[in-house]
Amino acid sequence: MRAIPTLKISISGVRGVIGQSLTPTLLTRFAQAFGTYTGSGTIVIGRDPRTSGEMVKQAVMAGVLSSGSRVVDIGMCPVPTIQLQVRHGQAQGGIAITASHNPPEWNALKFIGPDGLFLDAGQARELLDIYHQGEYTKVTSADIRTVDEIDGATDLHIKAILDVLGPLPKLDRPLRVVLDSCNGAGSLVGPKLLQALGADVVPINVTPDGSFPRPAEPLAENLGQLCAAVREHGAAVGFAQDMDADRLAIISEQGVPIGEDYTLVLAALYVLGRERGPVVANLSTTSALRDLAKQFDCPLFLTKIGEVNVTDMMQQQNATIGGEGNGGVIYPRINFARDSLVGMALVLHLLAETGATVTQLLETLPSYRIVKEKMVCPSQLIPVVLKMLRQEFGTFPIDTRDGIKVTLPDGWFLVRGSNTEAIIRIVAESNSEARAREIVSGVYDQVARCVNN
Amino acid sequence: MKPLKIGITGVRGIVGETFTPELAVGFAQAFGTYLDAGRILICRDTRASGPMIRSAVLAGLLAAGCEVVDLGISPTPSLQLAVSSVGADGGIAITAGHNPLQWNALKFVRGDGLYLNSSQAEELLDIFHQGEFAKATWDTIKQSISFADPIGEHIQSLLGIFAVDAIRARRLVVAVDCCNGACSLLSPRWLESLGCEVLEINSDPSAPFPHAPEPKPQTMAQLCAIVKAGRADIGFAHDADGERLGIVTNLGEALPEELTFSLATEIRLRKKRGTVVTNISTTHAIELIAARYDSSVIRTPVGQAYISEGLIEHNGVLGGEGSGGVTVPEAHLTHDSAAAMGLILEHLAQTEDPVSELVQEIPRMATLKYNISVEPNRLYSVLQQFRAAVEREDLEVDSTDGLKVMLPDGWVHVRASNTESMIRVISEAKENTVARQLLDWARDRIKR
Repeated sequence: MRAIPTLKISISGVRGVIGQSLTPTLLTRFAQAFGTYTGSGTIVIGRDPRTSGEMVKQAVMAGVLSSGSRVVDIGMCPVPTIQLQVRHGQAQGGIAITASHNPPEWNALKFIGPDGLFLDAGQARELLDIYHQGEYTKVTSADIRTVDEIDGATDLHIKAILDVLGPLPKLDRPLRVVLDSCNGAGSLVGPKLLQALGADVVPINVTPDGSFPRPAEPLAENLGQLCAAVREHGAAVGFAQDMDADRLAIISEQGVPIGEDYTLVLAALYVLGRERGPVVANLSTTSALRDLAKQFDCPLFLTKIGEVNVTDMMQQQNATIGGEGNGGVIYPRINFARDSLVGMALVLHLLAETGATVTQLLETLPSYRIVKEKMVCPSQLIPVVLKMLRQEFGTFPIDTRDGIKVTLPDGWFLVRGSNTEAIIRIVAESNSEARAREIVSGVYDQVARCVNN
Repeated sequence: MKPLKIGITGVRGIVGETFTPELAVGFAQAFGTYLDAGRILICRDTRASGPMIRSAVLAGLLAAGCEVVDLGISPTPSLQLAVSSVGADGGIAITAGHNPLQWNALKFVRGDGLYLNSSQAEELLDIFHQGEFAKATWDTIKQSISFADPIGEHIQSLLGIFAVDAIRARRLVVAVDCCNGACSLLSPRWLESLGCEVLEINSDPSAPFPHAPEPKPQTMAQLCAIVKAGRADIGFAHDADGERLGIVTNLGEALPEELTFSLATEIRLRKKRGTVVTNISTTHAIELIAARYDSSVIRTPVGQAYISEGLIEHNGVLGGEGSGGVTVPEAHLTHDSAAAMGLILEHLAQTEDPVSELVQEIPRMATLKYNISVEPNRLYSVLQQFRAAVEREDLEVDSTDGLKVMLPDGWVHVRASNTESMIRVISEAKENTVARQLLDWARDRIKR
């Protein structure tokens, strides 16, 4: 059998396994291509704490420097810190060295444009064309520029948050928060930010030494230690970050994960209470966000799946807040990026200013449950499956921008092919978990019949 | 064709043309593979391309699983000493030595602090060309660490081998031109530790080279002026990485680079007789000096690795080359301009002879050098055609390295450069006009 390739070069960047596919030569070439693409300007480089991070960074710096670009090295830091630094420092681009929630043997490069946003599909294709063409800008000794190491990027990030939101209002007892940074890049900023806000911080897993104390993805099943710590310390809330600190999961004061979908909902509840405006999320986002937007009389725009689609729409609509159901909160007034630090600050302000607990706040919101399934499906069959579903559910409102989303009287489901694997994903939501599961299994059976015919 | 030299002295080229980051990454991976992913020291000179090449080398070494100790900007001999003192498995010096600013190079050092010899260099090249490198995985990959003060350790080790008290007592006035190279961090500090009054110029490692980093009379005018103005006892000129040394006398005369090694030989043999090791391209004044002290001379091919091996094999008392590189074996078996300075200053302190008078004792030959640029792929055949032409004339030749032709009034040596794409022609005779005739004789027989 053919070995499964571990290298993935796509519009999301380049990703691979250390010691196998992600070689320093490949990284150097990609960095040269990016330096060429950005016209030999200033490029901000940061990384998460993975053990391979230094090797990858050095390979990237060599390539960027040889293209005549100036390097601003901000060291180990969250991805949103890099994005913020690109914009604030008026750099021409940034390279984030992180494989976010992938296991420790992985690493990756993600490319950031001058606006602090990840390259969109068109820009990424231009970069890939340059990479594949292999003709990079090479400067001679006289035009080689310097590496400037900057220590203050994380302080800039904290300041940007405090400048907009301010510290928490004074309480008789400061909010106690347990923070689980997964020994990731968030370790370097999370505790400092929470202290600066005036919270009482209990940090766990904040040693950024490249070890993974738990799987990096902040899913409920990976957060047992955090839930126990919230209960043990009688904390008001628990926060979990992933390795590059873009995603945020929330644990209630009862030590229960509230579900990643509700991170954005709580953040929006606070933001829309202060300023109304358009809200943007993707098609797979909980209806609780739709209900919330309606409650505040704000328009909601749903996009295709993918962070870039969300940020593009946010720019078009001049959105007040947006994000993704996986715990990615984007609050453009502070940072045009999925930013777990911004998410934490928004949720803490909500708790402090309302005086309510997380559980009480959730009770004021409509309750939905999302259930997800996936099925192996050859990619050529995906259009067949989608056509079948269009016919079967023709009497319901249908959105076909990304697979098919069908709105039922008591919920919705979304079926789409994966961009990266030969699988089909089925997501359904309803008021109860039982009903959501019922919708998923019904659709699953129909899809299975279609695939197996 | 753009110049790139991959050979016994490492890999060398022009940055932005042939010397790319991928090439540096690949060679670092090959070297890490060759040393079985051990502990490796790296240093660089002050060229603007240094940080770029350093990053590439670091990436390659880390990817191969090496533990990297970074010395930062440091002379190559400081790295060579540190390799053995910290028990490292090898080192990479990022420096193009005396080459102009636009060049850079990797020089490979083995665990005993000496350069790879020719067969080791060939093994490394085979690994590079084969392209199958050791690859560390996420749980074996290492980080780089920095080395606190390699230059301080270098100075400490040199202080142990010279009559330091005598030198300090003399309070010599010494001018030094560091060419804004790596010796900016070593040479003034070394001289101060010897109690000298130091007149330093071009000792800013963040500034570009003020002139070619090759210590020759053509590059030493500023140093001559400082020596005269400051009434210095001697002036020293450095290359970019601390191997070659140029000398200006107390009268402000810049000595031809050939005289550095001659002077060192005279000083050394007066104190300690024995075998002197040099390459076949260096002035025959060495034989004349050695004869006075009943000492012998061994001639090797051109290249430091050969001098080091010659010193080991013959238990030599001094090594060196006409380019200005001097090896003082008590320090280590490699060229070290700081050690050469120590040797000369010790002599000045102990004898009170001015340098200008010592120079009078050195037999002066007329040595002429001429370089012929040749396409890299033609170097060997041009040399072969010259060899055929010489053989037809039935002359005495020495084939140690290229072809050295011994003629009644002198000699002429024709060889391919190790570092650049050119044929080097050197002739020597007692009279300048004869040396000129010998040079022309050889040039007439070299067909490009």
